[in-house]
Amino acid sequence: MNSRTVSMPGQILPESLRTPPITAGPVSLAELDEQVLSPVERKPPKAWFFAFAFTSAVMLLGMGLIGYTIATGIGVWGNNIPVAWGFDIINFVFWVGIGHAGTLISAILLLFRARWRNAISRSAEALTIFAIMCATLFPLIHVGRPWLAFWLFPYPNQRGIWPNFRSPLMWDVFAVNTYFAVSLLFWYLGLVPDFASLRERTQSKIRKFFYAILSAGWRGSASHWHHYEKAYLVIAGLATGLVLSVHSVVSFDFAVSLVPGWHMTIFPPYFVAGAIFAGFAMVVIVLVVVRTTMRLENLITLYHLEVMNKIILTCACLMGYSYLMEAWTAWYSMNSYIHHTFRQYVAGTYWWAGWTTITCNIVIPQLLWVRRLRRSYPAMIFVAVAVTVGMWFERFVIIVSSLHQDFLPSAWHIYKPTLVDCGILLGTFGLFFTLVLLFARVLPVIASTEMKSVLPGMQPRREGGTHE
Amino acid sequence: MNREVFSVLGIFDSAQQLMDAIPAVKGKVPGKLEAYTPYPIHGIDKALELRKSPIAGMVLVMGFIGAISAMVFELWTEAVDYPMMTAGKPFWSWEAFVPIMFEAMVLFACFTGGLGMLFLLNRLPMFRHPMLSSRSMPLVTRDKFALAVETEGQRVDVDGISRLLQSVGARSIEVVEQMPATGPASPQFLFRFTVGVMVACLAAGYLTYWVIKLYPRAIPMVHMLDQPRLDPQREDSFFRDGAGMRMPAAGTVARGYMPYLIQSENEADLLPNPLPRTEEVLKKGRLTFNTYCSVCHGILGDGKPTLTAAYGAKPANLVSESIRDYADGRLYHVITMGKNAMTSYAADVGREERWTVVHYVRVLQRALNARDEDIPEEARK
Repeated sequence: MNSRTVSMPGQILPESLRTPPITAGPVSLAELDEQVLSPVERKPPKAWFFAFAFTSAVMLLGMGLIGYTIATGIGVWGNNIPVAWGFDIINFVFWVGIGHAGTLISAILLLFRARWRNAISRSAEALTIFAIMCATLFPLIHVGRPWLAFWLFPYPNQRGIWPNFRSPLMWDVFAVNTYFAVSLLFWYLGLVPDFASLRERTQSKIRKFFYAILSAGWRGSASHWHHYEKAYLVIAGLATGLVLSVHSVVSFDFAVSLVPGWHMTIFPPYFVAGAIFAGFAMVVIVLVVVRTTMRLENLITLYHLEVMNKIILTCACLMGYSYLMEAWTAWYSMNSYIHHTFRQYVAGTYWWAGWTTITCNIVIPQLLWVRRLRRSYPAMIFVAVAVTVGMWFERFVIIVSSLHQDFLPSAWHIYKPTLVDCGILLGTFGLFFTLVLLFARVLPVIASTEMKSVLPGMQPRREGGTHE
Repeated sequence: MNREVFSVLGIFDSAQQLMDAIPAVKGKVPGKLEAYTPYPIHGIDKALELRKSPIAGMVLVMGFIGAISAMVFELWTEAVDYPMMTAGKPFWSWEAFVPIMFEAMVLFACFTGGLGMLFLLNRLPMFRHPMLSSRSMPLVTRDKFALAVETEGQRVDVDGISRLLQSVGARSIEVVEQMPATGPASPQFLFRFTVGVMVACLAAGYLTYWVIKLYPRAIPMVHMLDQPRLDPQREDSFFRDGAGMRMPAAGTVARGYMPYLIQSENEADLLPNPLPRTEEVLKKGRLTFNTYCSVCHGILGDGKPTLTAAYGAKPANLVSESIRDYADGRLYHVITMGKNAMTSYAADVGREERWTVVHYVRVLQRALNARDEDIPEEARK
């Protein structure tokens, strides 16, 4: 059999249907290393310092307000019965959701052997880790006395009691912590060979010391790669189940309760789709900045951005379906409380939040049907920011609009966030982008080793075709 | 020329050349054949005849262990050690424990896969491997591919191996000596560094403890201990007399308070029982007796099988002849004022309740000294 025709079915396909090359122009291994690894060794440009100063100032504002909250008590927030969950849980769900794109790209697309994932997996995984860090802050400060948060873990204690494992909030503790630990491990494993490359490149003794420790003495022998690849694949498979479970568990916090508008079986898939949706929007925003400022246009190509925009479009359609399905379920329930809650979503006190959600999440992403807009920076940034805003408001609608008018009309209450609430939300954006900026200077933003293995012609020919 | 070396490396320019060279060298050299590459090369494991990676099996086993231990732990805590009823579900409602079981499975499995691969199978971290000090290391972590004949200290014909590698296409040859690499730092330094960090942590903890102890103004966590309120029986500077509690106004009488003026048991004999002997009263009397009296006098009032008796006290036998002869008022008086070792129950048992107990004690006395006539006619045969 002629191996060429088998290995390249693209040759018999029309140009428009062929998978585009993963890099713009040929890239050699040494060039790749130079392009990806050298920014880590150089002094950052001035613009970086300005950006860093700005984001860390915003972060400090948030940290200060968190300190004020802890010292004073969470009475400084707008939460009050019946809206016991306000900005804190909205922001928690929002940030956890953002993290999901990273695991999807690094784990699920690895299983699907989507080669375009290799250029963006490192930064997407980094966003996952930073987003979970922002997310976990909120339940921690919402408990009021965060120094006692360790009570959530089942350890033998003199009180002789255990946490309630039947509570979805406990499931959340385990799901989010597992997710963070596994994401960090996965990220680190991907970094190990890159640390080895950095160790061998660097001229500075101090850097060499740290890279040597971080690379754990990785030497790239065939027998090591053999175990490494297998472990990576197995963890990717497990992480796939994990990423689907984490936002499902987050949705159980709502779905397991009896609040009208929350008690719905569609919540787990609906939350997972929304999480991937918001996460991809954030990845697009960050990658556009990274590829232009770090001159990585040939490695993170317009094709990458276009594919991600297609996923955003798909998720927007899924979200539209979910909203319709939710509304239909509400109508079909013949339950006057659920009817009332759904009328509140679009025509209540917070009607504007409901319509912002629908506009930003379903209407605006439809722009991406146009190929020219999928490949244009202003258009994709506009859509990504709209999706980020829309997904935040979606959680606002789910939490505040559902809670503020519950079963007991005498308890109804209009929720108003305070400035402290808004400042802490802003502060987590500061924290997130500060971490992103640090990441972009301290670690290689592209998994150079992974990229090498998928560059054209880098895998040996074998009987039956190339192994790319 | 035979020398003791760690390995002989042949450097290749592409993965294809490396793969083509492996079969040509295999079996013709002493020691082990190994390759060093900047990225994983597909199919090289078969070419080098590497053993199948046991990682999947390890992950499977540990995943099972994680899942089972999480489920067993949750069931034990929620159904056995501290049974907790939630939402009316049975204690053994295992369905609620599945999410955490799943997370524990993934956690165990992923860390087994990741750390097991690095630390167990690849024997990392290893900073003193001879390869790490070789000149080729910067190349094989960038864009070159090395085929290594690893003899690990045997005496071998270095020139012969070099010629063989060159003949199959190696661009250059490096002989890696048996000397181990120096690593990122000497073991002594790493040891001192670790000990230093530990000592610093201990010192910082001890210092913090004493600072907080000596300057309690700076208590970081008051745990809601600091509450501005007046505690009973405590001093307080708020009132002029320095006491937190106030005296009631002169002549205050507590609600429902009735003075008890009977001085002696003989006087009490004259008190009549104000309550009728109805079933309701007797039931109430039984409840009160069982709650307060039976602890010492026994559930039948005979003073025998009780806790106090076990400790050597002698509670009165309420069904004995002498107490059967007590007037109702005298029984009431004993409950109210106490007798011998028995303390007053006036504070615990209300006025009416005491009278119900008196009625119930009469029931016990009659029941334990029943006469033939007490048994109904038809049951007597």
